[in-house]
Amino acid sequence: MMEHKSEHRNLQEGKVYPIEIRNLSVTYRTEPALWNIDLNFPEGNLIAIVGPNGAGKSTLIKAVMGLVPITAGKVNVYGKSYSKQRSKVAYVPQRGSVDWDFPTDALDVVEMGLYGKLGWLRRPNSQTRKKARECLEKVGLGDYADRQIGQLSGGQQQRVFVARALAQDPQIYLMDEPLNGVDAITEETILSILENLRKEGKTIVMVHHDLQTVDKYFDWVVMLNRSLVATGPIKEVFTKENLDKAYQEKQRVSIR
Amino acid sequence: MKKSILIVAIAIVIIIAGISSTVLIQSNNNTDEVNMINAENTANDSEKIMVTTTTNVITDLVENIGGEHVRVTGLMGPGVDPHLYRPSASDVKKLQEADIVFYNGLDLEGKMGDVFVKIGREGTAVWAVSENIPHESLLSLDTTGHFDPHIWWNAELWMEAAKVVATGLSEYDPENSQTYDANLEEFLTQLQNLNENSLEKMKSIPEEQRVLVTAHDAFQYFGHAYGLEEMAIQGWSTDSEAGIREIQNLADEITERKIKAVFVETSISPATIEALEAAVQDRGHDVVIGGELFSDAIGEKGTSEGTYIGAFKHNVDTIVRALK
Amino acid sequence: MVLEEIVTIFFGIFTDYTLRYVALGSAILGITSGALGCFTVLRKQSLFGDALSHAALPGIGIAYLFAGTKDSLFLMLGAAVFAWFGGIVTLGITSTTRIKQDAALGITLSVFFGLGIVLLTYLQSTGGASQGGLDRFLFGQAAALIETDVLNLGILAAGCFVVLIVFFKEFKIATFDSAFGQSLGFPTRYLSALLTSVIVVAVVIGLHTVGVVLMVSMLITPAAAARQWISSLKNMLILSAIFGGISGVVGSMISSTTEGMSTGPIIVITITTILGISLMFSPKQGYLFQYIRKKRQYQNNSKTISSISKETNPRS
Repeated sequence: MMEHKSEHRNLQEGKVYPIEIRNLSVTYRTEPALWNIDLNFPEGNLIAIVGPNGAGKSTLIKAVMGLVPITAGKVNVYGKSYSKQRSKVAYVPQRGSVDWDFPTDALDVVEMGLYGKLGWLRRPNSQTRKKARECLEKVGLGDYADRQIGQLSGGQQQRVFVARALAQDPQIYLMDEPLNGVDAITEETILSILENLRKEGKTIVMVHHDLQTVDKYFDWVVMLNRSLVATGPIKEVFTKENLDKAYQEKQRVSIR
Repeated sequence: MKKSILIVAIAIVIIIAGISSTVLIQSNNNTDEVNMINAENTANDSEKIMVTTTTNVITDLVENIGGEHVRVTGLMGPGVDPHLYRPSASDVKKLQEADIVFYNGLDLEGKMGDVFVKIGREGTAVWAVSENIPHESLLSLDTTGHFDPHIWWNAELWMEAAKVVATGLSEYDPENSQTYDANLEEFLTQLQNLNENSLEKMKSIPEEQRVLVTAHDAFQYFGHAYGLEEMAIQGWSTDSEAGIREIQNLADEITERKIKAVFVETSISPATIEALEAAVQDRGHDVVIGGELFSDAIGEKGTSEGTYIGAFKHNVDTIVRALK
Repeated sequence: MVLEEIVTIFFGIFTDYTLRYVALGSAILGITSGALGCFTVLRKQSLFGDALSHAALPGIGIAYLFAGTKDSLFLMLGAAVFAWFGGIVTLGITSTTRIKQDAALGITLSVFFGLGIVLLTYLQSTGGASQGGLDRFLFGQAAALIETDVLNLGILAAGCFVVLIVFFKEFKIATFDSAFGQSLGFPTRYLSALLTSVIVVAVVIGLHTVGVVLMVSMLITPAAAARQWISSLKNMLILSAIFGGISGVVGSMISSTTEGMSTGPIIVITITTILGISLMFSPKQGYLFQYIRKKRQYQNNSKTISSISKETNPRS
């Protein structure tokens, strides 16, 4: 178990953050996956979560949504518990977590994003279909609505997932490695969408693997290695020192 | 998945398994007790010949011939299907510990053939009560050369089986061979009366109704001996699945010939006969289930149908009543 | 002559009591297991259906032990309860120990089935009228189906379909992306349990026709065949149900042509044949068309290559 003195920058008392995490610990069997995380996500930011393998990055966003059991601590979304605020949060899971051979098309997947609003009793209808189509257009896949998802490229699949999140019209986006292994067009498209969302005041939290691009794409960073290493604006926190602490070995990253 | 739910589920399964095995052991003990009580206690238990048999028809036979000199353990009770019977470890033990083993033969005990060979090799006297029946008297059903094993429903053939038992007992226990012969004579007389009686009763059935429809082909010998045409859904072994075709053909024939009744058997599920009944009724003919017949086993010990003679009479009376 | 036979048998479905209800009961099974089997296949839990069916066997024995009756409904209840136990135990093993699903399935399947055989063996020795033929639940005894049986099966199947229709989108999302579904607030664990329960009902329906041992093929094969032709979930369910239903009816018909033909296995052979045809001939995925496509592609490539080489080497 590691004890780091974590750097917290720009935290304000009394303010309601999109996501507040207090003393969060998550244990799998006997292994601590996350230890005593104290964290606020600031509104209207593009936030990267970075750390080595096994650092608990995916676990962190899953814990926010209650997808993994929390051993200790709590999470608030705009001051209330997550279960009361579901409609404000959209989840974009890792591409590999799904079997793309499933018999369905791109439009159908995006429509799934609206199932929450439909609730138990209502069925997908022309309205949901229309909204889904619009979201597909936004990610540049308007012509691919009827395409079998198994026939889409990795980047296209990722964009479908993003479109699905867009359909939810959330305030907060929780994304797990969406830029991993995608083509240039996809990366560009997704980033420009996220940029626009940020301008609208949405909060985007992304588990990101490529340290080279962190300072290019993001405003805020969370550096994690089971416990919190550092969090804050990129310019202040994304330092060689913190990186070494997080990765516990020298990282060859050029920092501007 | 809550660990507690899993633990509860496993616990329930284990408890039920435990209860079942306890009931099993209990019932085994009970069978032994019943045998003890029923065996005549005029001689010391340790002096009695230990005989193990398969079906309770044979149990009845051996008790009739052996009288107070034998203590018989039957593996199969009333309502047990001998065609499908798989011997348990305790069954094999009972066979090994016996002084003499009597079984039917002709593959009635379809799943036990190897066991008898093994026991015989180990030195126990093993007798198939059907072994002396002349080939001409045996009926064959299919082209594989197998014979129908249900010989006991022909009283005359059963006399041959009784003789085998007497021979077997006398060979093992020559001292008492006179007793065995006397018992045999008496039993043969009873069988003779039964035979004549049954032939007489059957005459009261009108000729067009002299058809016996049952769940499986257990009554070929019976039919041959007492003037009934025999038809069944399953063949002479219940091993095979009852087929749609058989039910259709039988239903057609029963309807055409306006046969009054069909019969269920004590050791077989009535489902197939009920399906036949429904098929016939759908064809517009009002057939009924005429009663329950003892086919592969006789009744519960202590009841009137718990003896060969009693069960035989029950069958004849039931058939006559239904088809008259 | 043969044509005459086929026509007679075909009309037999409507006119002959036995064939009518056997075909109907088998069709009900085929339709239900075909539709629900799609989910087991898509959830990669095909053998889970096998574990559930084998687990039903001791339930039949115990129902008989306690109720002492061959009352069909009570036996089905026992089967359902134990099939459900089997499901819980399997899932419990995977979630609380390190044992992976395939091993957990194997363990559950053999333990429950073994327990079932022990019970049946014990029951055969106690006799008592009508226990005979609990064996029939191993491979089914379709020929014994009568009107009331089929009515009961129909009600069970209707219940399954009501659940399927009401919870269709929930089952879809729980199968495709359960984490996402959970994030929307759908209790995917309970949905899984509900789906398992409906599959248990399908297994109970199948007891009469194909029995415990063959049931798994009725869950997997129609779905696998339908997948070859269809790429939307709803249509896959529909086609799978149709395939299942057809195999039930055709299997019954075929088994009624000869004496001594078991119905359950013939139904299984029929649906497997449908699968074989689908694998060979389906336009997008079938072997035949893939072969033709590859050949065409090869020919096209050869032509292109030779025309290119002619351009670069005009003299050859």
